[in-house]
Order: sequence, then structure tokens, then C-alpha cells
Amino acid sequence: MKTIINLFLVIFCLSTASIAQKRTITVLDKMSKEPVINAHIIDGDEKVFAVTDVEGKVEISLEREIFKIHSLGYIESIIVLKETDDIIYLIPTILQAGQSVMVYAYGEKKANIKDYQSTQSHHTLDHFLDNIDGVAMIQRGAFGWEPSIRGQSDQRMNLNIDGMQIFKACVDKMDPISSYIESNNLSKLQIDKSGSSVAENGNGNSTINLISKKPDFAPFSLHLTSGLRVPDQYRVLALNSNYATETTAFQVSGSIKKADDFSAGRGSVIPNTQFNKMNLNVGVKQLLPSKNSVEVNFITDKATDVGYPALLMDATKALANILRVQYNWRDTKAPFQLTTAMLYGNTIRHWMDDDSRDVTQREVMRNMHMPMYGSTGTIGSKITGEATALNHRFEWFLNGFMSEANGDMWMISLDPNVEDMYIYNMDEIVTKNVSLGGRHSFLLSPSFLVKIEESASFTSLGTNSDNYASMFESLYNKAYAPRNRMLFSGSATAIWFPKDNWSLSLSSIYSERLGNHIELFGHYIYNYVDGYFYDGNPWLKSEKSVNFELNSTVEVENHSLSLSVFHKQYFDYISGKEVSDISNNDFQFKQYQNLGEAIMLGGEVRAINRFWDNLKTEVRASYTYAQNTTLNDPLPMIPPLKGLNSITYNFDTNNITASMEWAVAQTRISKKSSTESKTDGHAIFNLVYTKSLFDGSLSAIVEFKNIFDTYYSEHTSIASIPEAGRNGMLTLKYHY
Amino acid sequence: MAGLFLAFNACSTSNSNEEDLSLTPINTVVIDGYTVKLSALDKLETGDNYLFWELEKEGKSIDIETMTVMPMMDMGTMKHAAPFKTPKRYKERNRYFEGMIVFSMPSGDMGSWTINFTITTKDGQTIEGSIEVNIASSWRFTSVKDKDGKGYFITWAKPSVPKMGNNNLAILVHTKESMMSFPAVSDAEVIIYPFMDMGSGEGHSTNFTAPVSKGNGLYEGSINYSMSGTWTTSVQLVVANDTLPEVIFEYSVKAK
Repeated sequence: MKTIINLFLVIFCLSTASIAQKRTITVLDKMSKEPVINAHIIDGDEKVFAVTDVEGKVEISLEREIFKIHSLGYIESIIVLKETDDIIYLIPTILQAGQSVMVYAYGEKKANIKDYQSTQSHHTLDHFLDNIDGVAMIQRGAFGWEPSIRGQSDQRMNLNIDGMQIFKACVDKMDPISSYIESNNLSKLQIDKSGSSVAENGNGNSTINLISKKPDFAPFSLHLTSGLRVPDQYRVLALNSNYATETTAFQVSGSIKKADDFSAGRGSVIPNTQFNKMNLNVGVKQLLPSKNSVEVNFITDKATDVGYPALLMDATKALANILRVQYNWRDTKAPFQLTTAMLYGNTIRHWMDDDSRDVTQREVMRNMHMPMYGSTGTIGSKITGEATALNHRFEWFLNGFMSEANGDMWMISLDPNVEDMYIYNMDEIVTKNVSLGGRHSFLLSPSFLVKIEESASFTSLGTNSDNYASMFESLYNKAYAPRNRMLFSGSATAIWFPKDNWSLSLSSIYSERLGNHIELFGHYIYNYVDGYFYDGNPWLKSEKSVNFELNSTVEVENHSLSLSVFHKQYFDYISGKEVSDISNNDFQFKQYQNLGEAIMLGGEVRAINRFWDNLKTEVRASYTYAQNTTLNDPLPMIPPLKGLNSITYNFDTNNITASMEWAVAQTRISKKSSTESKTDGHAIFNLVYTKSLFDGSLSAIVEFKNIFDTYYSEHTSIASIPEAGRNGMLTLKYHY
Repeated sequence: MAGLFLAFNACSTSNSNEEDLSLTPINTVVIDGYTVKLSALDKLETGDNYLFWELEKEGKSIDIETMTVMPMMDMGTMKHAAPFKTPKRYKERNRYFEGMIVFSMPSGDMGSWTINFTITTKDGQTIEGSIEVNIASSWRFTSVKDKDGKGYFITWAKPSVPKMGNNNLAILVHTKESMMSFPAVSDAEVIIYPFMDMGSGEGHSTNFTAPVSKGNGLYEGSINYSMSGTWTTSVQLVVANDTLPEVIFEYSVKAK
């Protein structure tokens, strides 16, 4: 009996103590002061241990001093609980990151005007990006499309994977970095159209950051996808899996894709549009006793037999190996806080040749084969954290990388009496960069937020080859030395909320950039748009730009509208200038020069409307006007007014989406700085039907694109290679 | 110790004078107990050749005070000389005498080359003789005549092995006054045009600096080769307002 009484007393005391150590907090919307219902309270192991009720209240153990709160529509917050904290405010995502848009891929569900969802992960990432307003894809065939944001591509935008600096290896731009990641191993995209994320990126360029899938402390999951498309016989087999113990999580995703030549509208087969591709992404994440964590991620990608009908050559092989190790610190709100430290390394290698082409009939470089090889190797680090100074909390970013690029080309004449020729397009070109940036947010009133970002970076570009350097010394009659430059960028964004769900923001961005390694040290690089061979110019001045962007976003329960307009002006605009004394009818040469000023202006609109819970419409449109004001000539490769309209209807386990992709004719073409052709307008119609079976564990997707078999080409398709005609695809997805 | 130090310094000095010379032996003759050795930077060929002379007796190096040479082509029915520079001491205290000869034709059935020389040693001894040399054909030499039939010798002196990138260009111009006299021409205008024929006559030039006279028949400029392979460079002389016919040098440019 005494034992029972003692046991009872112990249980009573423990339970009393337990009750005494809990407290109730209330989670409210920062703007409206309304309760946030069903907000998830998450511990350091990423597990949900409590949920707010209809009054936004939740009971938290006093032992839990640090936790995360996550709720749809709000910025995820890390909370360090103080004794006096009874109310926690969540900031609506409408405030998030200025005009950055988040694009969630396979497995993520978000519902914000700035979120795009890829429901068709079996398609290539290229097609997905192409339909985002403000983004257009420069195409050279069916593979390796090159993203451009508001008409800016390559050197005028940042294209990263997990924030890593990766340089393409092909001087003909066959392998934009986006070609080394697949939609099924992609977690989300961060798209910063305005370039306001200066602190993180080290410059004010528009940015696409491809965020790969990471190991997740979630129950075991397995996704299998298989699809077949006709008539190009595109086959895809993809796998995604995640497994976790208490402290360790593993993730693997991979895909195999293969396609034959596609057919344009009205049935004409476009030769050299085939490709093979394999991609694998593996990761492991380890939670440490300190609640910090470390993760390792490795991506390997191999593409073979890739046709590029717009180019003189095809890619025989492209290999990428991308390794990332990242240490994550838990948030302590210390005066100086490290958040993440990432070390990374990557190698890109690219082989191409024209062995399968008839080289006797082409316009340039006739009667010779030209195998080419390019490689880049990059190592870098990215360290982020927070700090408090003068009672002001801010984020800081310290980035650094070093990269070497090499590229060469043989020219082997069909005439055995002609000696083989050899050329270096890039020879031991070394880029070094270190940048330090800060991001500051000032909530001046409950309805007015100001964000300031600044960055200072040091960039050095040079070649380790004396012979190669001598070529540029002779071209410009100057003594060679590595080009070292301090570059400064900054942005300021003011966001005002006239009403709870209506924001108006104005961003201004100043950015400086040294030309990239090809603009400074490329040699004899053929530009397929204007037909000139380009030489770099190590003595280019930095190009500067000033960008203004105005955005208005309205988001109510079932309707949302976002409208952006921008005006960007370039100074010391870098472009090619003809070298007439060595050009002739067969070979024409240009050198990069600072050619005055250019402007780009335009905007995007996106509207999403839901009706009766099962009908959704979406409208996206974008337009860019771009002009070299010094030459009084339109800039090349600028997409016309284009957009996408879609309507989606859900019933039971069925989903039907009908969409129209359209573009008006592009008549503003570059005649002085390039030699473009006008492009006709077009509209194509698509239909997708999805059926969920077995409680959603199996999905069947039937898709028809370009139903009316329209023959058309995008203005950003080099050599006006037409797009695919009518095609159909069946995809099966299994989820465990 | 001081002796060792001096000996070390003496050796160092001697080596430093010769360390940049990598010579190819050409021929040796023995005259009156003196051994005359002839070396060159490479095997001899048509065009300019830098020749290094040394004198030995009983295995010991003998200092040369002065030296004269005369290259001679014996064609059987006739003889002629060639443009040359009289040898001079290569470097201070160096045992070599360095000279230059522009051989205007290869050795072979047409004739053979000898170099007649006179050497005066520091102790007043005079050694006279001749030494045979074998001259190979090369792309670096050609000749042209003006409208009056006066001959001009054009020698592609540099680069002897053109490489991708910028190359210093040196061209020598001599004229024929007689069978034994070939003075340098220093007042000509030298017009060049490098060209890469990539097949079927299609190709392009590259950037270059036209050669200008530096005296003694030497013209210096530069050519920036954008790729390896077979290049041609046309050369045209303008002498006293007379534009001579164009001559073509064809050669291979190496990658590195």
C-alpha cells in the first residue's frame, strides 16, 4: 500500500510539474492581428509537435525555448521564446523577398501568387521555366534551353544550383547550368527578376537559383514516374525516395530520359533533336547533438548524343559532377550568428562534334570537321549568418569562389592536303571572386517595410597561359595583367500595405559587373545569332545598370493578382563591335566593347482565380522592350509579348487542365548589333487529364500539346528552329 | 677559402655566359695544329643562320682577337657569296665568335657551300682556311627582282617556329650588287598580309603590325596567330617608289 501511495505521489508530482512547465502563446497575423489557425509548431528535428487552435493559441512546454512556426501564407519564423512572450506575430509571405518568386517542384504544395507549382515533373525543367511570366528560353534544339529573365541571359543573369557558382563548359552555350538538374530532383526555384537580392548574389543581376531536393526528416517515401511521349518517342523513368532515422536522413533521386527527333507542326521531322540523359542526386543529412546539422549532396549528370539543329555541331557527351557540403547552425539569436557554411566543388566537361553533319553545304566553316571540348572546374564557399549592431539585426553573406575554364577546337579539313588546325577558345582562364553582402529590413510601421541590401565584391579574371595572353596584348596593344576590380551593388525596396492583402512595392537596384570570362578572354567564339566570331577584351570597363521595379499584389482567399513593371538602364553596355580589317565574306569578326547605353522596360501580370472550389483559372503575360539607345537598335533575342492562359477543373479524383500558350509577332529585331529575323505570332492549345487511383498512390496523366498541330517558332529559338507539333504523352506516377 | 670562393665565382661567370646557348655542331677543320669548330643554333638551312666559331689547340681554348668570313657557293661554272655579318665576340670573355649568314640556296646538285675564314688570335697568329657546310632547304628565304632585274633577298628571320599567339616578326632584306656583294636594304617599305586558308581558298587574316626598318636590312613587326595550322604571309617590297612583285611565305604555326 505504501508503495502504491508513493507511486501515486510521484506521478502526481511529475504531472503537476509538467502542467506547471507549460504556457500558452498566441500566434497572430502581423498585419491584421487576426489569429493564425493551424500554424505548425516544429522542433529542431523538423517534427510538428503542436498546432494552433481557432484562436491562434497553442500550449508550449517551457523547456522548448527555440522552435519554428510554419503556416501557409506566412514567412516561416524561428522563435526564441522569452518569459514575456505571450504573442507571436507571423509576417505574411506577401512581404517576402521583394519580387522573388518561388517555384515549387515535385512534392511541394504552396498556394501563393508568387508560387508556381510544377505538376508535370515528367517534363523537362526547360518547358516548365518557359511558361513562367518574365522568363523565356533561348533554344538551340530540344535540349539545354538557356533561361533568360526579361531578355537578359548568360552573363547578365545569375543561374545557380543551391547558390553554388557553376560555369558552363561549352562556349556555344549548349549547356546552361539548368541542363544539369532535373525537375524531379528539384525542390524549388528561387527567381529574383529584379535583382534586388544583392547581398546573397553578390550583384544586382536577375537570378534563377535551382534548389535541389534535400534529405528530409519525414517518413519513408518513394515516388516512381514513367512516361512515354509520341511521336518523338520521349521516354522517362524517374525515382525519388527519402528515408530518415531519428538523426539521419537520406535522399536519392534519379532519372533516365531519351528522345528521338521531334516533329514540328504539320509533320516535318526536325533532324538532330534527339537526346539521352541520366541524372542522379544523392544526399544525406545528419542532426548533431547540438541541434546543428550537416548535409552532403552530390549531383552527377550525363547527357549523350544530344542534337542541336540550330548549331553547327552536336554534343556527344556532357558530364557534370557537383558536390556540396553544408553545415547548418541552429538559431540562437546571438549577436553574431552563423547560419550556414557551404563548401562546394564542381566540374563540367563537354564534348561536341559535327561528325554526323554534312559539312560541305553549310555557310561557315565548310569542308571541315570541328570537334570541340570544353571544361570548367570551380571550388567555392558560401557562408551566411546574422548579426546585431547598434540594436539592428541584419543578415550577412560571405561568398567566394575560384574557377578555371578551358576550351579548344580542332578543324580537320576534308582535304587531306590541308594541315589540321587547332584553336584555343579559352586557355587556362581563371576567375576569382569574393563578396560580402548585408541585408537589412526595417518595419517602419505595421504597414510599411523597407529593405536595404548592399554588396561589395572583388573579382579577378586572367589567364595562366602566356601565349594566350599575348594574343590579347596584340589585339589591344596593351600589356597584359589579370583584371582585378572592386564591384559594388545595392538595392532598396519599399513595401507599403494600403490594405491587409494588398501590397505596393518599389525596388531600385544598382549593379556593376565585370564582363565574364568569355567577354574578357574568349577567343574565336562563334555567335550563332549574328554569325560573327568573337574575341574577348580584357580591358572592358565594368558594365553598370540601374533598375526600377514597381509591383502591386492583391491576394484574397480565392483571387490573386500580381502586376510588375520595370525599367532598367545599362551604362557601358558590353556588346560586340565589328573588326572590319580582318573580316571578309566568309569570316566576320567582332570584339567585345563598351558600346554606350541600353534600356529594357516592360512588365508581367499574373492572375489566379478560383471558383466553387473546383475551378481555377490562371493568366500570365509578360513583355520586354529592349533598345540599344546608343546604336538606336533593338537588342537581340528579346521575346515578344507572350503568355499563358489556363483553366483547371477538379471533380472527384479527376483533374483537367486546358491551356493556351501564345505570343504575338516580334517585329522589333536587331539589325545593327545583330542580324535577326522577324517572328510570326502563334497560339497553341494543350490539354492535360490526370486521374488519381488507389487513394492517390497512383496517378495517370494523359497530355496533348499543340493539339492543332501548329507550325511555329519562338523568337528566342536560334535559327528559328520550329517548336514541336502535336504530341501526346502518357505518364504513370506511383507514390508510396 | 678565399681561393675556393674565387674559383666558384670564376666558374659561375663562365657558365652564365654560355648557359643560354644550346648549340648544334656543324663542322670542324684542323689548320696548322689549330682546331676551328663551327656550331649553330640549329642545323643550317636557307635563310639567316647564326654561326658560332671557336678555336682550340691541343684541347685548350684559344682566344680569338678578330675574324672575317666569306660564304661561297661553288656552282661549278660560277661562284657567288651571300649576305652575312662579320663574326664578333658573342659575349664578354666568351670563347665564341658569333656571325650570321643568309644562305640563299640549299646545298645539293646545284652546288656546295663553303665558308672561307681568317682568324687572328690574341697572340698574333693568323689562321686561314675554309670549312664546308651543308645547307638544307627551308621556307624562310625567297627572292624577287625589280623591273630592272635587280635582285632582292627576303629572309623571314623571326619567328622561325611560329606559335599561336603574338609573335615578333623580323624580316631581313638584302640586294645583289654583284656576285660577291649583297648589302642590306634599310629604306624599303615592307607590306605584309598574313592569311589562314582553311580550305578552298576560304579563310581569314589576323591582326598584325607592319614591319618597320630598324637598320642594317632588319624590319620588325608582329603577327598574332589566332590558330595553329598552315598560314601564308605575302610580302611586298616598295623600294624607291617601285613596288616589287609579291612573294609568299607558307609555314606551319604550332599550338604551343
